[in-house]
Order: sequence, then structure tokens, then C-alpha cells
Amino acid sequence: MRHLKFYCIVLASVALLLASCRKEPLENNGNPNHILCRTYTQQFETIWAGMDQGYVFWDRDTVDWDKRYEQFKPIFAAFDSRPANNPVTYREFAEAYYGLFQGLLDHHLTARIYTPKGTPRGACEVIIQPGENDYVHPTYPDQERNLQLKALRKKAIPGTMKEYNPNTTYGIPGSYFCLIKGANEGELIAYFRFTGFSMVQMHQMYEYGSSAFPDAVKAQAPAKAFYGPRYHEGINMEGAGYANNDSVVGIIFDVRGNGGGSVADLSPIVGSLGQSPTLVGYTRVKEGYGRLDYSAWSESWVASPANAHLKKAKPIVVLADINSVSCAELATMLIKALPNGTFIGERTYGAIGGLYSGNATNIYHDLFYDGCFGDYDYFENGPDPYKDIFSFYIYTSTFHMVDNNYGDVEGVGVQPDIEIKYNYKLLEQGTDNQLDRAIRFLRVGH
Amino acid sequence: MKLFYSALLLMCMVGIGMQPLAAQEEPAADSSPRVRHWVFGLNAGLDRNYHSVDMVYMTDMRFDKYREGSVFGFRIGYAPTKWLSINTGAVLIQKNYHMDHVFQYYNLRYSLPTTTTNQYVNVPLELRLSVGNTVKIHAFGGVFGGYWLSSHRSGTTYSFSNDRNYEFDEDWEFNDKRDNRLETGFTWGAGISGMIIGRIEVGADIRWYYSTSDIQKPYMVNLNPRYNTAFAIQAGVSYWL
Repeated sequence: MRHLKFYCIVLASVALLLASCRKEPLENNGNPNHILCRTYTQQFETIWAGMDQGYVFWDRDTVDWDKRYEQFKPIFAAFDSRPANNPVTYREFAEAYYGLFQGLLDHHLTARIYTPKGTPRGACEVIIQPGENDYVHPTYPDQERNLQLKALRKKAIPGTMKEYNPNTTYGIPGSYFCLIKGANEGELIAYFRFTGFSMVQMHQMYEYGSSAFPDAVKAQAPAKAFYGPRYHEGINMEGAGYANNDSVVGIIFDVRGNGGGSVADLSPIVGSLGQSPTLVGYTRVKEGYGRLDYSAWSESWVASPANAHLKKAKPIVVLADINSVSCAELATMLIKALPNGTFIGERTYGAIGGLYSGNATNIYHDLFYDGCFGDYDYFENGPDPYKDIFSFYIYTSTFHMVDNNYGDVEGVGVQPDIEIKYNYKLLEQGTDNQLDRAIRFLRVGH
Repeated sequence: MKLFYSALLLMCMVGIGMQPLAAQEEPAADSSPRVRHWVFGLNAGLDRNYHSVDMVYMTDMRFDKYREGSVFGFRIGYAPTKWLSINTGAVLIQKNYHMDHVFQYYNLRYSLPTTTTNQYVNVPLELRLSVGNTVKIHAFGGVFGGYWLSSHRSGTTYSFSNDRNYEFDEDWEFNDKRDNRLETGFTWGAGISGMIIGRIEVGADIRWYYSTSDIQKPYMVNLNPRYNTAFAIQAGVSYWL
């Protein structure tokens, strides 16, 4: 027993020494919500840290973000040490930030960064969208849409063509609807096209009033006239009312050139094509500041409106292309996930991560440990050249989304079941090869 | 908690009930004591893991201070003298933790809890110092190496498309880039033991497994380390060769 005290002292001493074997925690990670930056370095550090901790694709992205810090920190430090008679030029500022963001995977990512100290004064604002695709169309979506509409008119049964806001007046998405002949006498194919998704949003603005979006209110009355009074609850089925007709043997749902919009449209517009809720994919957010601190995957179901859905399953073809973005890609995934759905066209854009933006941007960023951050006021209203603040707004995905087989779609796009590439030459001659293939599929069955 | 304290009480009772026999000495035929050097044993018990995370400004994350788990293992010991032995073995030990993401948004309080159950195998190597004859008291300390065998988590997360909470219950898929499955650390503790029948010894001990390896690999510069410290109470039976 006389040794016991000695042993205890030795063990206690060892135990105390062991505590020093662990790494010290970080003292300060730098709150990404700091928006009142006063120097180039502070602005760079804040943006870098916000992406470091709040970018949701670090498990897939190949960019070495730590290396980017080492590479660009000295550049911004040098900007700060410039004398007043040698201010930073727009080109220098832009090149530095283009270099920082280059190659990032997030196809929603838009970085808007502003410095009041550049040359010319108040004009140093860069807008960066690093998520680019190798494959692009030689024409603009508006131009394509007009040509495709022209080709569609040739296929439509005379008198069935209905158009609503085809040129997206007021910046509000438009739609077309028509009937096309099926394989046999009396059989019909219903065609729907949506150039964007904001129907429910428009409805809410109309119902509750919004001085911020007077254009949406203006467009509401014709929307109601076109789709019917309850369009926001099941636009295709109640408003157009054709798809449930027994003579309609197939449906074409066209989201080519659709730039996306609000997911609130998914259920009433696209979900109504299914007879029950559809599992579109899985989403996750982050649960900490580690780049790979992810939450569990959660299932993403899109409901089918109870009283306004397609009563009987019919073959549905979704037409999409490289200019189908975000919500249009979700619509494509949804129809592809239906047992009677087929995707014809070409891969979609690849910007599928869901986003929470708006006035509560930084609150969402705090809640989910990822997503948009910065000065939303600047994003909405533009830089204030009289404010001596290095503003920025980073618009990046809040949710990482995969398809219902856990297949990654960000930056890759949804892959078609039958690939038909965009053909401008044919389109100029009045032939829409993608539409023709969809019609053939519904007439022949393959 | 009740289970934990019940185990503690049980082990005290085991200690009290031990028969007054020498630990590794027994009378030989020629009446001179025979010293036994090797011992093999099995033990089981409960542990409470403290998952240490620096919270920085994550004020909406709550980590339970401790989380209970189970311990099961075997030991091999060599005792060159009556008061000193070297022990090793393997222990299956759970190092669990519970996290709750609690926040208030538009006057609604949200709670997104996650319970993570981790199964490790730890291989300790320790020196054990013993005093006493009939009932022995031990103090021991050493190092351990370990491997993170599996992980499972269940709880609630948020579903974007459905705009509601989503329940999950899944096996954790290890990420080669993030998860450091190798573990090293120190172990120390104290215990009590006594011979009951022939060469069979029963005992109980309390011990700490203090991990010095981060459960994450250093995959980013601004990485907050995470450590496990498990406090185990276990009872066991050993056989002296």
C-alpha cells in the first residue's frame, strides 16, 4: 500500500500531460455573414471563409480551395498596399476574383463583388458565374423559342393553339398549349410548354398584393383567363382541361429554354401529371463548418394535387435541353421518375441545387450552414457608389440534390433517355427535330 | 443513466463478494507458492462518451455532454512480478454522441436531433500496478490503438422540396477523405479484483479511453478537431495459467 500514493501521483501527472496531445481548436473561423468589409483583404477573407464553410459541393468539387487562399491572399494584400495615385483597376480586380472562383462546380453560383476604391470610382463590380458547360447552343434561348414555336404551329391541329405571354412580357414566363394528331384517327397528343416557373408566386402576389412586383400583378388577370381561375392548384388539368380527355393518348411537356423559377410550381404543374406523389431525388444540407459536415439525405417528394391530377397514367415525354435550368431540371427529373415518363432531348444545364435567397439570406445560411451569403440589399438594388463598403453577394446552392438513384446531377445535368441534339439548321428550315422525335415516340411507342 | 449506475453497483457487489485468495499465487504440492504469470480474461460493461467539438459560433448546435454505450472485450496479461503486469487485448466499445440543431425561425422553434452510434475496436497496451493480497487494487495506464468499425445515425433533418422535417435512420457511409478511422490515445484507470474459485479471478475497473487522434482527417486548413473520450465501467472474469 505504501506505493499506492506514488502510483496515483504518477498516473495523475501522465493524465494531465496527455491533455496537451490534442490539437487546439480554431480560435475564430471568421463569420461569413460579415458584410461590412473595409479592405480588399477583409473582403477576400470573408468571401473565402464563407465558401470554405458554406459551399455545399465540397465532396464533389475538385478545386483546391486551400491552395486558392495561398494563391490569392497576397494579390488582395497587394491591392491594399497600393498608393492612392495607383488605384486597382477593374481588370485587376475582376481577374483576381475570376481566378478565385474558376472551375467551381455549382452551376447556380453567381458571385457579385464590388469595391468602391477601384478605377473608375464606384464601377468596380464583377459578376462571376463559374459553372459553365462545354456544350452550348450557337443561338440564344429567345431566338430558339421563336423558331420552335413556328415549327410547333405546323404540327398543331388548327384552332387548338393557345399562347400565353410567349415573349415573356414583364419578365414573366409564358406558356403554350396545343393538340397534335396521334397515331390513329381520333387520337390526340396534348402539348404543354412552360418558359419558366413562377405561377404560384404570381398567384400569391395577385391575391395578397405586392407593390414590389407590380408586373406580376398586371400579368395575373390574363393568366387566369388562360389557365382558369384555379390554375395554381393544378394548372394543366383544371385550366387547360385537355389531358384527362380520353382521346388524349400522350402528353408532351416541353421545358426547353426554361430558365427555372420557384419549386412551388412543381406540385401543381408537374406533379399533377402523376397519380400519386413522386420521389424525385434526395437533398442534404450541412451541419457544421467543416467542408464535409453533411446532414443525412432526405427524400424529396413532389405531391400530386388531390383533385387536379391526371386520372389515368398516359405516356408522357418531357422535352428539355442544355438551356433547361434549375426548376426546369427538377421538372425533367420528376417526369423521368414517373413509370410512364420518358426524357427526350439533350442533357440539361446542371444547376439543380436548391436555393434560399432573399432578405433572410444570412439567416438561412446560419440555419443550414451553407448557401447564399452577403449583402442581399446590394444584390437586389445594386452597389451604392457613395457607400465606402466592399459589398458582395454570393448566390450559391443551399441544398445538394441528387436524383432518385443518388446519381449526381449538379454540373452534369439530367441525362436523356433518348438523346436528340439541338439542330439549328433544321430549325431554321422549320423542322424541330426534338419535337418530331417526341411525337414519333408517342405515336409509335418507342 | 439507471443502467450505468446499476452496473457500478453490481461491480461493487462483485468486489465485496470476492473470496480471500491470493491473486497469482497458490499452494503447490511441495507447499512452496507457485507463481502464475499469464492471465486471460473476458470483460463487459458500459461506457459514456464525451464527444468534444469546439463550437466556435455554432450557438444553435447542442452536443450532449455524455452519451452511453456498451463495452465488451478480452484481455491477455503477463505478470513478471506479483505487483506488476503488462496487459493487452481487444475491446469493442461504442463511442456515441447526440447532437441537436435547435433554432427559432419566425417564432417557431425547430429541433433537428441526430444520435450517432459508433462502434470502435480498441487495443490497449498497459502497465498494471497492483497492491494487496486477498483483494487486489490496481492502477493502470498505457496507450491504445483503435479502428472505427461502423457508424449509424438516426434523427431528423430538413427536407427542402417537402418543406418539412424528415426522419432518417441510416448507416453512416465512411468518406475516405473526411473520416479518420484509425484511432490512437491513452488509457488509464483503476480497479479491484480477487480470486474466487481455483484459478478464476473476478474483477471490476473504471477506465478512460482518451483519444488523441481527431476523428477527421486533416482535409482542410480551417478544420475544427473532434475527439472522443470514453469513460468505461466494466466487470470481468479471468483465468490464470
